Amino acid sequence: MNDSMDQQQVRSFTERYLQYQQCQVIESAPSHIYTHLSIEADKDLLNRPMYWMYVERMGLQPNPSHQCFIFDAENPPADLKGEYVFFGCPRFTQLLDSAQKHGKFVRVYQDTGVFGMVSRQTKPYSPWLVINFFVSFVCDRKRDEIWSLGIDLQTGAIQEQFDDQIKNNKWLSRIPAKRYTEEANMSISEAVGELEYYLQDRLQNGELAWAEEAEERLQQELAQLDLYFPDDMSLSEEQLKSKQDRRRELVWQYHPRVETRLINAGLFYRDKVFRYQ
Amino acid sequence: MFSLPIHYDRSWLSQMEQNIEQDTGWSNWERFQLALEAAQAQVVPAFDSILSLQQIYGFEPLRHQIDVTRQVIHEMRGRAILADEVGLGKTIEAGLILKEYIIRGLVKKALILVPSSLVLQWTRELNQKFQIPAVAQKKAWMWDKYDIIVASMDTAKRDPHREFVLNSEYDLLIVDEAHKLKNRRTKNWQFINEVKKKFCLLLTATPVQNEMEELFNLVTLLKPGQLGRESQFNSEFVASKRKAKNEEQLRDEISRVLIRNRRRDGDLNLTKRIVHTIPINLTPEERDLYEGVTQFVRSRFQNGAGDLKSMLSLLVLQKEVCSSRDAVFHTLFKLFKRGEAGNESISPEVAHLVELLRKVKTSSKVEEAVNIIQQIPDKFIVFTEYRATQEMLIRALQQQGISAVPYRGGFNRNKKDWMMELFQKRAQVMVATEAGGEGINLQFCSHIINFDMPWNPMRVEQRIGRVHRLGQKKDVNIYNFSTSGTIEEQIIWLLHEKIQLFESVIGELETILEKLESEESLEQSLMKIALTSEDPHQIRNRLHSLSDQFHQKKDEVVRTKQEQDERFYGSTTS
Repeated sequence: MNDSMDQQQVRSFTERYLQYQQCQVIESAPSHIYTHLSIEADKDLLNRPMYWMYVERMGLQPNPSHQCFIFDAENPPADLKGEYVFFGCPRFTQLLDSAQKHGKFVRVYQDTGVFGMVSRQTKPYSPWLVINFFVSFVCDRKRDEIWSLGIDLQTGAIQEQFDDQIKNNKWLSRIPAKRYTEEANMSISEAVGELEYYLQDRLQNGELAWAEEAEERLQQELAQLDLYFPDDMSLSEEQLKSKQDRRRELVWQYHPRVETRLINAGLFYRDKVFRYQ
Repeated sequence: MFSLPIHYDRSWLSQMEQNIEQDTGWSNWERFQLALEAAQAQVVPAFDSILSLQQIYGFEPLRHQIDVTRQVIHEMRGRAILADEVGLGKTIEAGLILKEYIIRGLVKKALILVPSSLVLQWTRELNQKFQIPAVAQKKAWMWDKYDIIVASMDTAKRDPHREFVLNSEYDLLIVDEAHKLKNRRTKNWQFINEVKKKFCLLLTATPVQNEMEELFNLVTLLKPGQLGRESQFNSEFVASKRKAKNEEQLRDEISRVLIRNRRRDGDLNLTKRIVHTIPINLTPEERDLYEGVTQFVRSRFQNGAGDLKSMLSLLVLQKEVCSSRDAVFHTLFKLFKRGEAGNESISPEVAHLVELLRKVKTSSKVEEAVNIIQQIPDKFIVFTEYRATQEMLIRALQQQGISAVPYRGGFNRNKKDWMMELFQKRAQVMVATEAGGEGINLQFCSHIINFDMPWNPMRVEQRIGRVHRLGQKKDVNIYNFSTSGTIEEQIIWLLHEKIQLFESVIGELETILEKLESEESLEQSLMKIALTSEDPHQIRNRLHSLSDQFHQKKDEVVRTKQEQDERFYGSTTS
């Protein structure tokens, strides 16, 4: 996660993206992939809103583009013109953004395999809300963490690193036969509130040295500004404005804070685990 | 205890609730996982790493450029004066810093203010080297439409643009050629002071040109109060207009906001320049033409005396005759059309020259060029000042089976790019009439032929600088074609032997020339010497004294610079 993706990872990510976005892969080699984009992918990757507006307004047959993505700059395909794709180039950034846009919300059911075939009984699922938060620690510098939190909608129990718990299971979009979901005891927005509160508490009790240092730098800079523009009546209107502007800039630059955004969220129906009381 | 503010965004919640209610709009497990992986790839895991280095492609920044990036972001907190000497890559440093901030999500909106002649070059570099989607500002509506804009300072500070700029908030403001901000009473300074900016980079190779006050003004623009109030600064640090006191403390203060790499610092790894003077012996016919043109030029000059315009075209003629017959013909023809319009017949003088011209069937210089190029199976760039020579040369080279492409200032961007690509991939030789301008970076080529020699040292240095620059891995061979017994030989003697223009970069060349040329340009001085000297001996004497003046100015400039360097930036290498 620390180092940026290498070319092999870039390629495999691109391949999966194309597959999930229903793009037709015409030619696939270690060095490149030649594809006929789906309409959605074309819209997200190729920056041609005018074309799509025109096609939709006029009711024309849409014609999404063919693209050749090259992953090995030393060995491009001989007969295809393409674009070198690497981590940090605008196209791949668009690809990452598009992937996030199309994986926002799920409602899925744990696949427990052959159970339904052999049992006569119906079996319950317990409902969980999962939120993946992108958490940024911001001052004049910045770093990020991903917090994957899950909350049991019946008991309110919260678990961290939920992505690790669910990634090795199989998840289905439709509820299998002979399964039913148990009722939640809280609303989605209540659950979101619980998770936000939990995260806030964890961060507030986490490592804060960076924020304290930033706050200290801010205070030093503000003090320096006060020395430069002593707050007496002698400041001209112009100087006063300069001082206020500069003060705003300093807060903007240094003020330590946490900014979060949603990566994605889902309702996960997990196989109900019966514990010994 | 410190209370950490946390912002949550809940704009997504209604969408999810709607999905639940209507049972539509769901993604699936695979896409959900891919989205999470995409986000993981975008995580910036540490405060103090430099990620931009892994996300550029096609060039490798030098160590000092990486150091500057790190220092500006992590120590100077994004407000700094980048004051490297010319040629060390301030643009690269600024690009790396911008890229790093963009990757970290700390900069979304950026404004880059540069001299208007550099707007396109900056835009291209940011796009090509750094994949930063910068656009060149052309119309007023563009200000609000694009996040990363390159514009000229002169445009930006004028209406209607001024309002757009002052009403925006820029996460990063970059000002190139920032020595134009040394005076607090100017519109430039006040404008930059008013722009709302979070981070700010000021780029200049000469943060102090004359007075200490300039430095104060520059630093105050960046961080008011860093050097105290003006009165404090004056009493603490200024002994007289140009003299500092408490130098150590001053240096310390300055080093918090200013970074200056000098050529002797660090490992720039510039390769060597190997200079060859190639004497060219004219054929009798060429010699006759040379003498004829020289006679013509002198007599015209003595008769016409003083008219600068005709003096210039005479000078061109004098230089061209050292380049090629074709170039002379071209100018003679123009001169004839202008001067002799209305006259039925050609003046006997001109007719005589045309006669001499006809007799010249071969070019000694071309033969030598072919000879050298055939001996060395490597890329060559051949510079000439004249288009007629350029065309003739390309024809002559092709006749010998040597592939050659042209390059000149008049080509549009696409054609320039295409010619560069052809040269790099297919042709052995590029014949260029222009050395300055954007985009000609020829590090893959290490042989330069100066087919004829500009009389302006800056133009000579620009030529060499296209090839001998950061990124050049081989020693650079420079072949100066010098026709024996002509003014060209004398000029090359001056530039090579006396000024030592070729062997190494004279970092202060521009400043020295500015001082030397306070009355008239060096080119004009040379022209006068060429036209008014009695004989070659006198030419040599006068060139000698010109070179003495050059060295005197050079010493002055170097001394001032050393003093300033020691005073403001410390003399120790970093």
